[in-house]
Order: sequence, then C-alpha cells, then structure tokens
Amino acid sequence: MTATAPLPASPCKDREARLLDIAARTGGGGADEIEAVFLEGRSYLTRFSRNHIHQNVGAEEVWASLRVVVGNRLGVATASSLRPEALAGARDEAVAIARASDPVEDWPGLPPPRPVEPLAAYDAATAEASAEARASMAGSVINAARAVKGEAAGAVEIEEGTVAVASSTGVAVASSHTRATLHTVVTCGDGSGYAEGQSTRIGDLAARGIGRRAARKAADSRNPQPLPPGRYDVILEPAATAEWVEFLSYIAFSGKTFQEGRSPLSGRLGQRVTGEAVTIWDNGRDPRTLPHAFDFEGMPTSRLVLISRGVAKAVASGYYRARRLGKRRSTGHALPASSGFECLPMRLFMKGGQASLERLIKETPRGLLITRFHYTNILDPMKTVLTGMTRDGTFLVENGAVVGPVRNLRYTENVLEALGRIDGASRRLTLTKSNCVVPAVRIRQVQFTGATEF
Amino acid sequence: MKAFLDRACELMRQAGASYGDIRIREDRKENIAVKDGRPEHIAAERYTGFGVRVIVGGAWGFFGTHRLEESQVEPVVRQAVAIARASASLPHTPVVLAPVEPAVGTYVTPHQVDPFRVPLEEKLALLAAATRAMRGPNIKLAQAFASAFWAHQHFASTEGARIEQTIVQTGGGIAATAIAGGDMQVRSYPNSFRGNFATAGWEYVQAMRLAEEAPRVAEEAGALLAAPPCPAGRRTLILDGGQLALQVHESCGHPIELDRVLGMELSYAGDSFLTTDKLGRFQYGSPHVNIVADATVPGGLGTFGWDDEGVPAQRTAIVEAGRFVGYLSSRETAPAVGRTSSGAMRASGWHRIPLIRMTNVNLLPGAAGRLEDLLADTDDGLFLATNKSWSIDNKRLNFQFGTEMCREIKGGRLGQLYRNATYTGITPEFWGACDAVCGQEAWRLWGTPNCGKGEPSQTARVGHGVAPARFRNVQVGVRA
Repeated sequence: MTATAPLPASPCKDREARLLDIAARTGGGGADEIEAVFLEGRSYLTRFSRNHIHQNVGAEEVWASLRVVVGNRLGVATASSLRPEALAGARDEAVAIARASDPVEDWPGLPPPRPVEPLAAYDAATAEASAEARASMAGSVINAARAVKGEAAGAVEIEEGTVAVASSTGVAVASSHTRATLHTVVTCGDGSGYAEGQSTRIGDLAARGIGRRAARKAADSRNPQPLPPGRYDVILEPAATAEWVEFLSYIAFSGKTFQEGRSPLSGRLGQRVTGEAVTIWDNGRDPRTLPHAFDFEGMPTSRLVLISRGVAKAVASGYYRARRLGKRRSTGHALPASSGFECLPMRLFMKGGQASLERLIKETPRGLLITRFHYTNILDPMKTVLTGMTRDGTFLVENGAVVGPVRNLRYTENVLEALGRIDGASRRLTLTKSNCVVPAVRIRQVQFTGATEF
Repeated sequence: MKAFLDRACELMRQAGASYGDIRIREDRKENIAVKDGRPEHIAAERYTGFGVRVIVGGAWGFFGTHRLEESQVEPVVRQAVAIARASASLPHTPVVLAPVEPAVGTYVTPHQVDPFRVPLEEKLALLAAATRAMRGPNIKLAQAFASAFWAHQHFASTEGARIEQTIVQTGGGIAATAIAGGDMQVRSYPNSFRGNFATAGWEYVQAMRLAEEAPRVAEEAGALLAAPPCPAGRRTLILDGGQLALQVHESCGHPIELDRVLGMELSYAGDSFLTTDKLGRFQYGSPHVNIVADATVPGGLGTFGWDDEGVPAQRTAIVEAGRFVGYLSSRETAPAVGRTSSGAMRASGWHRIPLIRMTNVNLLPGAAGRLEDLLADTDDGLFLATNKSWSIDNKRLNFQFGTEMCREIKGGRLGQLYRNATYTGITPEFWGACDAVCGQEAWRLWGTPNCGKGEPSQTARVGHGVAPARFRNVQVGVRA
C-alpha cells in the first residue's frame, strides 16, 4: 500500500536521543574504533487459521551490536540488553575476538559521518494498535472467508521501533519506524487464494478488501484441473514478481559476492544481462516502500540503479566493500556487522509498464495467471536458475480470459533470461510483504518442469 | 529464580488463566567463518529474557521481554492475558491440552569440551589449517565454519512443572568453491551449508578431521567444473547420508507436524498431505521404510530432556514398514488424533512461543550393509551426494533436490562424475520406490541447523539419522 498523506515527524525523539546517548558512552575496553548499532522496539503478531485466532504474541526487544577495531583487526558481538554491564560485556567480547583475528590489510577504518536527511517512517496509530484492533482485522478477513463458505488463515503483524547507529568516527544517527502487515490464505474446498497488504501505517490496510480478494480467488480456484508441464506464457501478480526480484537480488546484487566472482554480474557491469524491459533499483527513501534513511553503518540511503533497461549498472555495498571496489563511498547497503552477508539491497523496485493486470490478461492468447510462488530456491546462482512451485491461485488464461484454475506447477527457470522475455507490465507498482515494489508482468514461455496433485 | 517463577505462575492463576507457563532463557551463539586461511567473520551473540504464555477464555496469549527483572513479571503477565482475551474475542473452540505429568528436573547435554571455553585462537587455527589445505587451479574460495550454541532455560507451569535445562550444540565444516568459464561448483564436507551439527561439545568438530578431508574436497570441486551435466532420465538412485537427511526432513519431517496438518501453518509454510484420515492407513513408503521421531538419541541435534511444554523427550513411531502411523505433536494438537503429546514443542528463544518442531526424525537402518555393499549391488544407477538445492510444494508432495556431486554407477562400481544433478518426484511414490537401506554400520546422525517455521519466523536445529538408501525409477535432471 502507498502512504496517502505525509507522516508527521517521529514522536520517538526521546528514545532516539536516549539510544544515541547510550551509544556515545559505549567505548573504551581497548578498542581503537567502535561502532554501536541499537534496535529497540515492540512487535505483535495475531495469527489465525480455520477462522479463529490460534496464536497471538507480542514481545519487547532490544538488540545491540558492537563492532570494534583494534589496530586493523575486527570483532563483533551482540547483546539483548542496553544495560551498561551487558554492553561492556559485549564490547569486551568483541575486543577479544578482534585480538584473536588476523589484521585486515586493506581496512579503510569505520566510515566517517555523512549527512542523513530524516524521513517520516513512523505512524503513532500503528505503534499503538491494540490486540483488539488486530483481532478485529483478523475478524474482517474471517468474515470475508465465511461469505464464500471458506476458511481463513493468516496474520496481522505490527512492529514499531527505533534504530540508532553511532561510532567513534562521529556517526550518530537515529530514526524510528512502524510496519503493519496483513496476509491471508483463504481455502474454499480444494480452492486456495492469497492476498496481502503492507504499509508504514495500519490505516492503509483494508482488511476486508484483502480478505475479499483472497476469498474470491479461493472460490474461483476450486476444482483445479491438471495441466502438463511445459512452456507457458505467464502473468505474474506482484507477489510472484517480487519473489524472483528478491532472489535475483540475493544472488546478484551484493558487492561482496560480486567481488568474489560468485555473482552472475561479476565482471559484467555495463553489459546487457537481461531484456530492455527490466529496470531494477533500490531506494530506501521512496515513500512507496517501508522507508529507511540510513543503513547499519549509519550511511545515507539513496536511489541505486542495479539494472537499467537490461544492462547491469551497479552492485550494493557498505563502506569496506565500496573501498575494496575502488569507490569512495558506500552505496548505503551495509547489513549489521554480525551478518556474514555484509551488504544487500533491501528496498527493491522494478519498473512497470503501461498496462493493467486486467489488460495483461486480456492480451494473452494462452497462458497462466500466477498469484504467487512457494519455496523458491537456487539451482545455479551463476546462471540465475531458480526452481519453485506455484501456490494459492494458479489459473489458465485462454483468448484473453481466465477460463479456470489449474493444479500447481513447478518451474525451473533462468530468471535473468526469463525476465528478458517480459512483453508487458502493469503501470501500478505494489509493495509486497518482502519489501519489493513491483508490477505485475507478462513473460513469454516460462519453463514448467513438474506438477503436483492439488 | 524459584521466587520469580512461582510469582509468575501465581499471577497467571490470579488473572484467570486456565493454563500458563513461563520460560526464562539465556542464549549464547558463536559463528566463525574463515576464508582462504584468514578469519572472515566472527560474531558472538547473547540473548536473555523471559516469555509468558497463557490460556484465558480458552484462547492463547503470549508476551515476552528482554527485561529480566522481577518488577517486569506483573506487566508481562498482564500483557499476555490481555492478548489472550483479544484472541478469545472471536468465535473459537476452547483450547484443550492433552494431559502430562508435571515434571520437576534438570537436563544438561552430555558433552566433553564446552565450545565457549575453547580459546578462539585454537578454533581459528583448526579452521585456517583446513582452508589452507583446499588448493587447486580453479579454487577461488576455501571456507571453513564453526558454530556453537548454548541455551539455558528455566520452565515453570501453573500445573507445577519446574524444569531447568541446558542444551549445547556444536558444528562445523568446510567448502571449496571452484569458478571458471562462468560456472561455479561447490564441494563441502561433512555437509553443505556450514557443515554438520550435533548436541555435543567442541570434540565434535575436532573429530571431523577437516584438514585431512580438505584436499579431497578441493579436488572434487575442481573436477566438477570439467564434468558434464547430469543427463536427464529415469534412473536408479543411491543417496548419501547428507542428501538423504534433507530428503527425510522435507518430505517426512515437515508433513508429520500435526500443527501443519491441522492448518495452523497454512498461511506461511503450508499444510500437509498426511491428513488425519491417513493415520494408520496410508502406505507412505515401501516396507523398507521405517521412520521414528526420537528426541532421546544421543548426539542428535534435536535431542533434549523435555520439550518447551514440559513434555519428556520420547521416541515416536512415524512410519512402520512403509505404513504411516504417527505425528510430531503438541499438547494442544495431540487430542485431534486421540493421543498425548509426542513432545515436539520448541521455541527458538525467550521471545517466541514453542511450535511443533522436528526432534530427530530418523530413517532406521535396513539390511543393505555398508554403502560399498549397496553400490556393489547396483548394476546401473547414479550416486548423489551432498545437498545443493531443495524445494517442495506446500503440502510436501512435489519435491526437487539438487546435489553437489553425482557419480554414475555401472556394474556395482562408481564411474563418470556429473555436475548439476537434480532429481524430482512425489513424496509417497518416491519412498515407495525405496528398495534398500544400508545397515547400522552406515547409519549416522545429521544436523539441520536452519529449519525455518512460524510467524514470527523461528529457526530450529533438528536432527536426522539415516543410512544411504536406494530408490528405483526416479526422474533425474531438468534442463533450464
């Protein structure tokens, strides 16, 4: 969902200041450089199945990650408390790790501060949403399922928190955020339908509408017919498009794997890697996603074009990787230092086209309409070969109209090649649960290699 | 600690909870990655907090906090109760728990060397030596990994259970990555995705002899670059232990989780083809297939004293001579099949509720002797080793796996090396085509440290004991 009006400035200034104050006092212990990343917040999740709430949870959590540098040796330790003794313990553990490690010969130091423009990502109404409010949203979805004599499963999730990053080089940034997510699978006999919504603010989530979309799809997908594996034109709804874009990012867009030669883009920047219709970028500042102003090194996020009209343009990096790649600045994509992945784009966008989903269907002589994929995994990362199943609404399209549901199929496909066969995309971009903002797309001749029994 | 636990239970009762439990838990984790002889990434993590779970008005509520302070007991119980009341506000059938005798006791994972007391320098030296031993013209990455997990938990319930438990899990492995000509091949030992894992101490990693295995691993990775792709067709397969463990995990372990069967995971991971009407009636596999869920097997990654509902660790028959006979279950779900809990509820930390998780889902040994004996007994087929890729549908029927290595079997001997082997099938057809399982002498435990489930997501460490096995007429190879 897209925000409909500007959000006010974060009401969490006190918490942001407190976290930065604690971070500023977390030093010493023999560390020459130190970087603190603190997360503090609450999360709630109301889960339902078979038309009742069966799990309902909440937690308040703190996560503190300390990266220390001794000489040019690095150590990282985390704790789940901001108490002085806990932070001192984590710091000492990180220093001990650093002292046991080998020097990083090309260590450029922790990044110096850069200006970070604040952005609005916090909605007080979302942060304060009660258990009753979440139950009410679940109830709306369940009522939509009951209307088609179906059963709803799904979850309403609320998250609010503050992230602060501070370091001995002078980085000191903090911001607060909220997230509301609702997704559901409605089953209706042997039919199954999926719908989802996600936003910074809970008010953007129309629970009844999401429930009705899933319920209608479940009702329409009853009695699915078997279809032999083979090549079919496909229309991917946004959740399915996003799954491929997300996996492509994981395989291809990290500066670390790029430099190690393990990315399909390794040595191919500036070259055509897929079709002209494909433009993919990352932008943590765009209000159409769940915005974030800085990465886990406190470096500002900005628009980074990864693939432009089919040509590989860039990969994502943190400060260390950027310097190793000969760049002066990070692209603003550092992950927490405790993560071995190092850097990855997390707010992806894919350019749309001029059509609507309905028009894509109408212009398809024969093909499959796919709601989403399930259990996608990588077969060959260098060739971007993925496999996975369709799920929760797969339909046969003939002569421009949906003619009926089909049983789920397994695809095995080179995704960069397949995206190169896009011949239509929706104008509308949709924020998916995986934080991708993508269109529905039509792709010619996608390879399906197996079928299941439902 | 006793006063903390007792107060929580008393407050839960006073708030009208028909059942409640509290878990106070501390976790330590250490992950070490060494690349090309040098430490690449070392991270130490600690998590401490407590969580309260209650049934009020016949519905569940849970709340947890990182503030491990007595002053937090009352607000946390209050929040859990409020959440439960919201759950109960929608029409529902009240939760009924299967009975269990409230347990009082302690459990500590048997281990020799506490992995957190081993000097970091010693661990790095072992791993660095292994990476230095992985050499070859196209070996672009030589990696070694070690991980250690320590979880200490107090569990108390309003029924009177009081359990203190310490679980120690350790693992490691190596991987050589060969890259040339736009292709990349990885070979791992003893298993892919950071190695093998067990409830054990550092002695488990020391026994792997990583440096001794490293030259072979590197040589195989390099050889895979030059190997032809595995041809497609219907073939006889022999799966090695690492691959077979994941086959058991995905196509047996998950579909026997009774919460999945009852639709409780439908919106995320999916449900199961093993519906309750099939219990005791359905032919899951051939008569060679015998599977148990066993939380008591020494060293299994899913071995413990009690689960996170206070149900004692136990061994449950899942498949007997091919017939499906049992589920992994919880106190809430077991009554749906007229049974008591199989003791499979585990949470990934203080901040999560327990879910039905695999313990050690084991394929019992057969009568086919050693791997060498099974190979010798096979005239024509393929030997597939070490998982590379996995995918399975949301009812756990249609699967597709890829393996790091494939060797042709001709006349009982291993021959041609192939790369990028995959195989696919439908779960009961595949297990129905199993015509031999190696014996006890080839049976060993494998650990899967990254089993994802639930919302919010949780990662569990689970085990699988297997011996290599043979499957007839399996579809191999996919062209892409």
